[in-house]
Order: sequence, then structure tokens, then C-alpha cells
Amino acid sequence: MNRSPLLVSLILVVVLVLGASIAGAQEEITLRVLTHWGEEIVLPGQLAMIEAYEAANPGVKIELETVPFNDLLTKIITGQTAGTNPDIFHLYNLWLPEFTRSGLLAVPPQEVVDAIVANTSPGIVEGVSAGGQVWGWPTEVNTYLLIYNKRLLEEAGYSEPPQNWEELREMAAAMTVTDDTGAITQAGFAVWPGWDSGIVHPFASLLMSNGGRYLTEDLSATAFNSPEGLETLQLYADLLADGSLDISVPSGEFVNGRVGMTIMANWWRATLRAAEAIDYDTEVGVAPIPVGPSGSETATMSYNWLWSVASTSEHPEVAWDFIQWMNTPPAEGEPSPMGDYLVHSLGAIPSMIYDQEAFSEELGDHFLAPFVASTAYAVPEPIAAGGQEVKTKLQAEIEAVLSGMQDPASALEFAAMEGDAVLAEYAAQ
Amino acid sequence: MDGTKALATPANQFSTPRRNTLFRQRMIWAYIFISLPVAGLLVFSLGPILFTGWVSLHEWNMLTPPSEMPWVGLSNYVYLLTQDTIFQRALVNTFIFVIGGVGSNVILGLAFALLLNSRLRGQTLWRVLYFLPVITAPLALGVIFGFLFNRNYGLVNSLLIALGGTRQPFLASPDQALYVIIIMAVYQYLGYYIVIFVAGLQGIPQDYYDAASVDGANVWQRFRHITLPLLRPVMLFVIVTNTIGALQVFDLVFATTNGGPANSTMTVVLHMYNTAFKFQRMGRASAMAFILLAIILAITIVQLRLLRDRTQE
Repeated sequence: MNRSPLLVSLILVVVLVLGASIAGAQEEITLRVLTHWGEEIVLPGQLAMIEAYEAANPGVKIELETVPFNDLLTKIITGQTAGTNPDIFHLYNLWLPEFTRSGLLAVPPQEVVDAIVANTSPGIVEGVSAGGQVWGWPTEVNTYLLIYNKRLLEEAGYSEPPQNWEELREMAAAMTVTDDTGAITQAGFAVWPGWDSGIVHPFASLLMSNGGRYLTEDLSATAFNSPEGLETLQLYADLLADGSLDISVPSGEFVNGRVGMTIMANWWRATLRAAEAIDYDTEVGVAPIPVGPSGSETATMSYNWLWSVASTSEHPEVAWDFIQWMNTPPAEGEPSPMGDYLVHSLGAIPSMIYDQEAFSEELGDHFLAPFVASTAYAVPEPIAAGGQEVKTKLQAEIEAVLSGMQDPASALEFAAMEGDAVLAEYAAQ
Repeated sequence: MDGTKALATPANQFSTPRRNTLFRQRMIWAYIFISLPVAGLLVFSLGPILFTGWVSLHEWNMLTPPSEMPWVGLSNYVYLLTQDTIFQRALVNTFIFVIGGVGSNVILGLAFALLLNSRLRGQTLWRVLYFLPVITAPLALGVIFGFLFNRNYGLVNSLLIALGGTRQPFLASPDQALYVIIIMAVYQYLGYYIVIFVAGLQGIPQDYYDAASVDGANVWQRFRHITLPLLRPVMLFVIVTNTIGALQVFDLVFATTNGGPANSTMTVVLHMYNTAFKFQRMGRASAMAFILLAIILAITIVQLRLLRDRTQE
């Protein structure tokens, strides 16, 4: 028997098998990342990070998908139903209870959890946890403080922002300007109607500065229908009665120089810097939340965003590696790529302590410094199942007071009754 | 007998067996062609409707597989009809929107159509002008109306003050916001209904009007006894389609007030959207969809019966 054909065949088989194995080994891994950071001005920073990671990790390709914040939750929900969800999500922490209950997220590796716990404040760890488990890497932290127009305050005869509610009312009234037809051309204080967080987060910050709580400690019921809560909503009613607050002059008018004071989060900095009607450097002031009559010190609410990995990801190790790479300094004393992005592209406060230290100068900006300081005492938004629904119900009742159709006591009582029913329903599941 | 010759004769060309075969072949092709749209209808319309009905009997957050949905029976329906105050408010708001919107569109649409159907100069220009809002994005309209009806610097308030009136809060008022949205909806869709009415008016033969004039009928009598009866089919179309559309109003509200202030402009579909995608309660949202379907069906049947009976009188 001639052995040559057999030998040639064997060699061919070996070559083919080896070739297939090598090709398989070199197969590119694609990670899909979903975030709401999609505006043109914040995209280049993300793309640069992705490019750097891909260069350092040949064989890994990152695809970035962006949707506006208002569509993010819908996109995730429909993506889950259609089986098209990405490998990595960027999440608002209030969504954690429902996401974790449904098994949407992968549990982070212990080294990731350890790195987060070791390098952030306990409040931030709490902000990215649900059921005692850390679920993702915190990105920026947002707190709420009093933002005021220095020029308008000075024109009203004051040199310092209000420290308590009495001063808040007095200064708001002094800063309010109406024309001879009764139209408010400049509101002393403004809120953001039509947006749940825009209404409830400032309310909760005032409530906490008055010694009150938003939910009970065990998250089983609302706690805002309290004497402290009533005083807080009464403050809104008083501002309304003073003529200093009008929902047709919302917080958004601050950038047009038509609002004296409002309570907003630090992520608003980019908008304020871009505003043409006010000068960011000389006119925008930030102060702690004024203390209420039943409070002893200023307080505020914070919330977080986090990077999490989908439980359906085919490459969870690579996904966590990418997240960890983004959030870890390449060398001691240096910031992480994500910290750099948060500070320079978004103007946000990074959650990681090493990033805050590395960017102490940038974060010492007259606007950001008070926000950075507030992260030390900020109370994280309670992460309760049904929390979004409770927030929306309270928003509607606060708006009812601001529209003059409901008194504060009835509004709080109704919001608490409905909110308690929602929380009880989720607790029973 | 020579079969070829037999087939060639005209008498046998349509003999029964041959006709049956042709008929069968045509029917087969007809069924093949119709099967695609029917399959599409079943998969993309009937299927989702049945699935929605099934989901409405469950609790589902859309994050878990449908096979794991817990069964809750009719409790979603019971909750909506007895406990959900926002849904009840949304139902009332939606009905006000339907009555205000449909009523205005029918009355104003017919009035403007009569004007445009007369010997008005520049008819084409007027039609284009009236139709322009129909092709305007609701979001853009929302922004424009937000400015127009602003309590402090809105043009409408400036006019009111100039005319000696008092400043109104409009979109900032729970009592007025819904009516501003109705005005906005009428402004947007009136042009469409004007076009429909004009087409209906142009279909009425001029001879009827001439004969009535000869008999001494005045303008009102000609409108009452010729125009209105002959326009009833068009009226039926306008009322039914406008009512169905108005019951499903979403985009205008979403773009202007997002249901506020204090849920005063909350509509059924906006509440459905929030319930499904904001609160992740797909079962409850599906129950809302079915209640809305039942309402639309009932109202449409009533409208069809009322208007059809009259046209047959």
C-alpha cells in the first residue's frame, strides 16, 4: 500500500484542525455598551477610552450604543424582552431593585466589589447596592444644593445666600420682580414641574434639612408625611403665597437670568457653563440647603449611576475587565480614565476617592467644591422596589400644592397613602 | 370524438369541468396571495392583541421571561377600576378631550369647509395654510403653544391684558391645562378634517341646490335639508376616526405637560405608557389597553348605529 496519500491526508487534517483552532482563538470578542451619555459634546471622551482599551486588548471590540436618558429604561426593558440587551449597562441606581429581582444583572467579581468598597465613601457603596450586594461600579455622584444667582441676590440687597428657611423666604421675596400687569418677570425661587426627580429630589433635600426622612429605614413605608414633611411642603405653599414661586417660571429659567434661587444637582454644571444670559464664573453661586425650623444641620439627597454587566452577557469576565480598566488609575496618584472623562467631559463628580484627589483642583471650582463637600454628608436616595412609583405619586401631589389645588396636609396624606400601598405591594411579592 | 376540436369550439370552451378547474386554480392563487397579508395580520395584529389580553391577567415587568409571569386573574382590572385614582382621572380627562376635540373638529371643520367650498378667493392657499399644522411635529407644536400660553410672557396673556382681561395661568393651571391641549389638538388636526369635509361637499351634486333654490329654499334650508343629510357618511367617518384617535391621545400631552400639573392632563395612553415603561407594570398597562379597547369598541358601535340609522331614514 502506498503510504503517501494517507500521510498527506493526515497532514492536511492536522493543518485544518490547527488552523481552525488558531482562528477560533483569534476570534474577536464584541462587547456592547449602553449609556445615556450620547450628546455630541460627551461622545469623543468615551470613544477615546474605548479606543485605548481596544488598543491595549487586541481581540476585544467595544460597540457603544447611546439613547437619551428618558428612553434608557424603555430601551433596557424592550431589549430584555427582545433578547437584544447589551453586555454592559449604565444604570440609575433606583432601578436596581427591579433589575436584580428579575436577574437582569450579573454579580460582580469579588475583586471588583473590594476595589469599590476600598475606594469610595460608604454612602456611594450603599448607592450601588441592593439587598446587601454591590451590583456595579459607581460612575458619577450627584447631590442637590441651593444654586443662586449672585447678581440678583446682591441687587436684592443681600451678600450671602440663605442659611435657613426664614431667610430663604425673605430673600426669595426680595428677588422676585413682577411687572405692572402682575406677570412675574423674575422669580425668587423655582422648582422643576413635570419631572419627578426635578420636583421630589429638591423636596427631599429640604425635608432632610428639616430633620425629616423620605422613607422609613427599612424601606417598607413612606416617612415624608410627618410634621417635618408638612413644614417642608408648607414652605412651598408659603413661597407660592408670597408670589416668589410660580410653576410657569421653572428652574430651567435660571439659565436665562429669570430665577434667583433653585435647588438642583451638580450635573447641571455643563448647562450653566454654556448659558449665555448668565455668567457662570461671576453669577452662579452654590450653597448648602437652608436648614428648616425642625432641622439642626444642612442635609441633602444623593443618587448614583453605575456600570453593570448583563447576566446574559456571553463575556462577563471581559465586560468586568473593561469596567475595571475604565475605573482604575494606570499608576498611583493618577486618575482613572473614567474619572478623567467624568471631570473633563461631563463636569461631574467622580465617585472614586482617587479620582476626587487627582482632580482636586478641577473639583475645587467655585461651583463643584460645595457639591464635593456635600458628598460627605449626603444621604443616598432610598433604593426601594416601587421607589419610582412612590416618587411619581409624591411629585403629582407636590404639583397639586404648587398649583393651588391642594393644601399641604391633604397632599402629603394622599401621597403617603398611595406610596405606602405601592411599597406594601412590592414587599408582598 | 376529437378532444382538441371539442375544446376549440366556443360552446365547450367554458364547459363545467373546465370552468371548475380554472375556478379552482384561480382560487388557489387567490388564497396564496391573500395568505401572506392574513398571516401578517395574525402574527402582527391578532397575536399581540391576544398576548396583551394574556399579559393583562398576569403580573409582568418585562424583564423576566413571559413563561414566569405570575397569574393574578382579574386583579389588574379590579385595581384599575376601583383603586387607581390616576387611571380614573385619566379616563375623565380623555373623555373631556374627546368631547372637546371631536366636537370642535366637526363644527369648525365643517364651517371652514363650507367657506372653502364657496367662491372664496385663494382657495388653494387657504387649504395649504389650514393643512400645514397637520404635518407639524407635535413636539414643535408643544414648544410653540408652551410659549403662547405661558402665564408670564405668553402672547395670549399679553392679548388678554391688552383687551382688559386678567392674566391666566393656562398650562400651569390644573383647571385650564387640558383645555389648552384640546385647542392645540384642534389646531393640529382641523386641517385634515377640513379636507375631508371639502371632498364630501364637492361630491354633492349642484343640481340639488339649484332645484331647492327654484323651490324657494333659503341658505339655511339648503344646508339643513341637502348638505347635512348628504354629508352624513363623511360625518360618520370624521366622528368615528377622530373619536378613536382622540381616545388614544398621547404625543401632544407627552410633549407639552407630560400629564401635569398634578395629573390634570393625564390621559389613558400616557398613564398606560408610564405604567408599562416607567413603573414596569406591564400586566396593569395591558389591562388598561384592554379597557381602552372595550371603550373604543363600544363608542364606535354606538356612533355607527346612531349615524347609520339616520342615513337610512
